Amino acid sequence: MTRDAALAAGLLGLRHGGRRGRWALRECDFSLPAGRICALVGPNGAGKSTLLALAAGLLRPTEGHVTAPERERIGYVAQDKPLHPRLSVADTLRMGRELNPGRWDEAAALRVLADALDPRSLVRNLSGGERTRVALALALGKRPELLLLDEPMADLDPLARHQLMGLLMADAAEHGTTVVMSSHILTELEGACDHLLLLAGGRIRLDGPVDDLLAAHTLLTGPVADLAPHTVVESRTTGRQLTALVRHEGPVEGPWETWEPSLEDLLLAHLRTTEGASA
Amino acid sequence: MSGLALKGTTWVTVRLHRRALWTAGAVVVLAGAVIGALWIWDARVPDTYTQGGQTLPARTDTGRDLLSSAVGGVADGMLLLPVLLGAFVAGPLVARAYESGTYKLSLTQSVGPAAWLRAKLLTVTVAALVTALALTVLYRLAQGHLTDTRHRDFDLGPYEVTGLVLFAQLLAAVAAGALLGLLVRRTLLAMAATGTVLGVVLLVLGSLRWSLLPVRTITGPNGDMLMPRDNGLLMDTGLLTSTGARFDREICWQEANAAPGVDADHDLWITAHEQCLTRNDITAQYVDYHPQSHFWPAQFIESGILLALAALALFAAFRVLRTRHP
Repeated sequence: MTRDAALAAGLLGLRHGGRRGRWALRECDFSLPAGRICALVGPNGAGKSTLLALAAGLLRPTEGHVTAPERERIGYVAQDKPLHPRLSVADTLRMGRELNPGRWDEAAALRVLADALDPRSLVRNLSGGERTRVALALALGKRPELLLLDEPMADLDPLARHQLMGLLMADAAEHGTTVVMSSHILTELEGACDHLLLLAGGRIRLDGPVDDLLAAHTLLTGPVADLAPHTVVESRTTGRQLTALVRHEGPVEGPWETWEPSLEDLLLAHLRTTEGASA
Repeated sequence: MSGLALKGTTWVTVRLHRRALWTAGAVVVLAGAVIGALWIWDARVPDTYTQGGQTLPARTDTGRDLLSSAVGGVADGMLLLPVLLGAFVAGPLVARAYESGTYKLSLTQSVGPAAWLRAKLLTVTVAALVTALALTVLYRLAQGHLTDTRHRDFDLGPYEVTGLVLFAQLLAAVAAGALLGLLVRRTLLAMAATGTVLGVVLLVLGSLRWSLLPVRTITGPNGDMLMPRDNGLLMDTGLLTSTGARFDREICWQEANAAPGVDADHDLWITAHEQCLTRNDITAQYVDYHPQSHFWPAQFIESGILLALAALALFAAFRVLRTRHP
């Protein structure tokens, strides 16, 4: 573990429902350097929400440990955006101020709301997207050093998503905030994230800076031939044509056309193979 | 209420449960208004002067009759207070945060889980104690107006309300509600479970309360029924044989009832009854009772048991919280 890690886990595991229960997360080992924007991806049920809840200190791990800043310095938005339905928007922000004495930054919270909401309206009357805005405002108003967001943009329309993502990235860049964001929407991550954590079946499949991961993989097409010594992530053959994504060992030399994959290529290849493996 | 500068989790708790708090306040004000109005009505009907120079309330004093039943109603209603409080703590205060997922919001602010629960429970406890205190004062004032309160009342209702037991019950209710709310995590189920558990515990303790202290016994010659002098609580009365053994009155009553011809002739019944007493060597009678001086020791014992249970439940609740959230 490096000294400047914003979030690290050592053999982290969580089992639901006692001794005979199902492992939601197992043997998770990673270290996320401070200041990174990390995408947490994986199929449904991979353990993304569990990992974020463990990092937020909401759950006690069954085994291993997680190293994160203390509660005061973490911002967390759960997937279902829980808020008190009978509080008004203004009262919800007041709650943020009351529960985070000495840390609360009203201006940062109001920037997220962006005058899009009447402060007097009750949370229960808000749309899904509006609730997301309030939840994000609470998280950012806390001035966190580590921001944990579970599917933050799922309820937003494309315009609001673009605007909020921009705001989030600008805020994170300005304050050096480390962000871990789980998402299904791959385009949301491309360009925004510089670190990747891929979970499948409760275990980590990929972990590292996006640039390093992309540079370590090669996408190739060409005649069918032995791909050794490279590790094949995914391959497809149509007729005599081979398309494959490999994690290369040394330079890829052969009769193929090669190029560096995009983040989307990489994720899709890994997601498809882990899905096939678990099915 | 807005004049108070509430802060942190206390402010949030008050804000989230303001309707329940207003309801509690409204109940106190309503009870005060009803009793005050009846009191005024009662005061406008002049008392009757009897020949001995004593004043007695007039027979036609409807206000006084209504005041009397309203005061009784307050005492009876306060018996329900601990169960209502326990259900509120278990359901809306604790379990709902888990059912709706808002615990994820509350526990990821700067306040730790233990401080979060502590602030919630403290807020509700203070509100409940203030409510109970207001109702108790109201009850004592009105009851003092109606009757001579030099004698303690051992009846269900007045017993709890005029001593410590009600307050101990309220603290036990908060603790039980917290524990069951954390364990059950479903609003309605937690409320039902807490209501049931508290109901059973309070009923059991209520029925045991006069068995925990040894009774005082007086004996006297058989004849008119003995009565303890200071308006204590009668527990048992019966007859004694010449050796001092206890003998159930019922036996001779039944024997006399079964004698032939007693239905028509009451003297026959008396003869049969006395024959039975003589045959069984009955010479005296006894009364087991709790004197007035047992009021406070009994209150302390019951309150002590309730507070011990409350402490256990509270300890368990914070243990559950700590094992669940780091």
